Amino acid sequence: MSVEMDVDSGDIPLQAVVDASSMLPEENHAPAADVSKSLPAANAPLLDPIQPELPPEGPPGPQYKIRYSLSGHTMSISSIKFSPDGSKLASSGADKIIKLWDTYSGDVLRTLVGHTEGISDIAWSNDGEYLASASDDKTIRIWDMKVGTEVKTLLGHTNFVFCVNYNPNSNLLVSGGFDETVRVWDVARAKSLKVLPAHSDPVTSVSFNHDGTLIVSCAMDGLIRIWDADSGQCLKTLVDDDNPICSHVKFSPNSKFVLASTQDSTIRLWNYQTSRCVKTYSGHTNRTYCIFACFKGRYVVSGSEDAKVYIWDLQTRQVLQVLEGHRDVVLAVATHPTKDIIASASMEKDLTIRLWYDSN
Amino acid sequence: MTPKTCFLLHTMNESLISPFNITHPTTVQTSLFALASFARFDATGRYVATARVDGTAAIWDLDTRAAVRVLDGHVKAVSSLDWSRHSRYVLTASRDWNVVVWDLASSCVPAQRCATLRFDAPVVSASFHPRNCRIILALMSTGEAYLVDQRKAHRSRVELCELQEESDDDGAGPSTRTRSAITVARFDSSGKHIFMGTSGGYILVFNTRTKTMVARHKITGAGAIKGLEFTKTGRQLVSNSVDRTLRQFTVPTYPPPTADGAYIEQELEPTHRFNDPINKTAWHAMSYSPDGEWLAGGAADTATHKIYIWDISNEGQFANALDGGREPLLHLHWHPSRSSIASTTNQGNILIWHCPHPERWGAFAGGFEELDENVEYEEREDEFDIEDEADMIRRKMKEEEDEVDIDTMPEAAKPREVQLHGVQAGDEDVAWADDEPDDDQQEWKMRVIMEEDWDM
Repeated sequence: MSVEMDVDSGDIPLQAVVDASSMLPEENHAPAADVSKSLPAANAPLLDPIQPELPPEGPPGPQYKIRYSLSGHTMSISSIKFSPDGSKLASSGADKIIKLWDTYSGDVLRTLVGHTEGISDIAWSNDGEYLASASDDKTIRIWDMKVGTEVKTLLGHTNFVFCVNYNPNSNLLVSGGFDETVRVWDVARAKSLKVLPAHSDPVTSVSFNHDGTLIVSCAMDGLIRIWDADSGQCLKTLVDDDNPICSHVKFSPNSKFVLASTQDSTIRLWNYQTSRCVKTYSGHTNRTYCIFACFKGRYVVSGSEDAKVYIWDLQTRQVLQVLEGHRDVVLAVATHPTKDIIASASMEKDLTIRLWYDSN
Repeated sequence: MTPKTCFLLHTMNESLISPFNITHPTTVQTSLFALASFARFDATGRYVATARVDGTAAIWDLDTRAAVRVLDGHVKAVSSLDWSRHSRYVLTASRDWNVVVWDLASSCVPAQRCATLRFDAPVVSASFHPRNCRIILALMSTGEAYLVDQRKAHRSRVELCELQEESDDDGAGPSTRTRSAITVARFDSSGKHIFMGTSGGYILVFNTRTKTMVARHKITGAGAIKGLEFTKTGRQLVSNSVDRTLRQFTVPTYPPPTADGAYIEQELEPTHRFNDPINKTAWHAMSYSPDGEWLAGGAADTATHKIYIWDISNEGQFANALDGGREPLLHLHWHPSRSSIASTTNQGNILIWHCPHPERWGAFAGGFEELDENVEYEEREDEFDIEDEADMIRRKMKEEEDEVDIDTMPEAAKPREVQLHGVQAGDEDVAWADDEPDDDQQEWKMRVIMEEDWDM
């Protein structure tokens, strides 16, 4: 099944096809199961057995322990994000709803209903007042989080919207989707400002750098591209030798590197100025789904298809802790902006969000 | 770092795109239909504030190219406009005798004024003190300048009067010199001094703290002064005058004011003169590039929109004339950090000029480097050798052992500290201005206000 076929036969939604296989959830961070089969599997395991050597004596590792298990979603959870002040956690799912949770008590604060298809991604504005959601109904909706209502609908994508992020000033939004474009939006006026014909396959992840001057995008075509946010010009393309599907990408806090997850069960840290991969993180399983990866101080955190959450040391690339407890693929992880808290969310067979607190 | 490389480092994009050829803007990037009489960038360069003859002003977001705030507080034309250093406050001066200060942190629609200063004549210009926006300089159309201090401990409104020479020097009789009207009044870049141009072709310098005149400079041949602009550092000053010539001066260092009110009487000799030798056009406005390496002059041409660019670093040579079309120019302002200019046409449109980078299509292909010309490829000795896979992995692992720094901000992302002319550590004037600071914080950000849908 190729993605292009779905676009052409517009009346047959991809989800219906996926449902028919009954093995995969309707949830959208998992639509590319068939595409992933074309992976050159022979090359990938080569890296797996080799782990970097243990450092002689390092700082004490993370000791994350489960604090809350939050249930409420009725279908796979696609994305979770902490609010900028960390007090709340928003989650979205294939069940077309967004839920808002209190980080410190685990209470559900609000449920936002409006999308007519599953939601793939959510993003907070910098002041925590708004949330943007990207859905299979081809829209992006902006929600006022104070009153819990929808304030804008951004129309323009011609297929599923898969990823969304605000710029630091939160006057712009960038989104990517199955129509293979990256779009930049004027949020306050719900107006499309730029449509970049960015990739030749569905765009899986897109975000701004720390000052909003660059955009990074990645897609199922295996390419990572850096764009000038102002002019929309492509500045750089990063590609790995084996061209695995790239499922998530984000800038480092100082924007000197990008962290990219690929479906060869590898996360790479790229220096995009020199086009060199400077760190490789492996040990988890990621061959089918678009799984989020995050920075957390001196750690890198990612979900995994073996129902675990992996925490690596940023520098040594060593797996420091594996969080066990979920009963299905962990698609989404999020790290708290200030405290040592990790959130993770799982798919169909589990449907919980877990909040892990570092006991160190 | 040479001044020119400031530009190169400004954004990482520019270093990614091309490390060379960043000079002055060359083409119009976009045009804002603003019905404006002039437009000024804020210190971040993210916004322009525009003023209209109907008394309103508007704040435009350059990311979205949309008006994000409307400031409606005057009943006559807005004559001048200023931003506080971190863009939270905007000041508008008007011919309706008022100066209004707006707080953009208030997210009411329409925006609310936070202070109004009333004068007894039309106000032709007003500006914030560069360090504290509770100190305001205002110039009346009648030629008087006032320094208004709104701080509790310093509350005052002082007219800045030119000191007259003792007329009994040359015997008797009334003073041969009448008091000349002030035609332009500006703070210098540090705010230590106020520079004022007069109708008689003088530049007067006042100490802001003591409000006393510290210098008077005769500008020979200039006639009435129409405008004054400083470089960011405050080392250079350019004047516009009725003789249609722009003069650049090196700003002298002034000693602290003395108790007896002595001042320097000195002619100031320009380092450069800029004019249009053929058409002899007058100038509406001028603006320095952020590094002071370029000067842009907006020609008062009645038929075309012309911006002249001079290369200050290259003996002030004429570098380029930018043609902005048929709508004559009223005003221009250079972006605070980039090679971009905002120029206003007599139809009220704002032209945003930029320096476009040619699209590099090679950027779309991973692992390719675009070359400007053909080069003979030199193959490394072992370039196509087949490396043992285990060796390769070990080599890659070894390479990955180097520490990476994902947190330290790149140099260019930090706001650059500009060494201001004539300011020393522990400066008394600076301390005075920093007393009772305003709440214009650097971290402050303008809230995004969702625009109401028309059909709702």
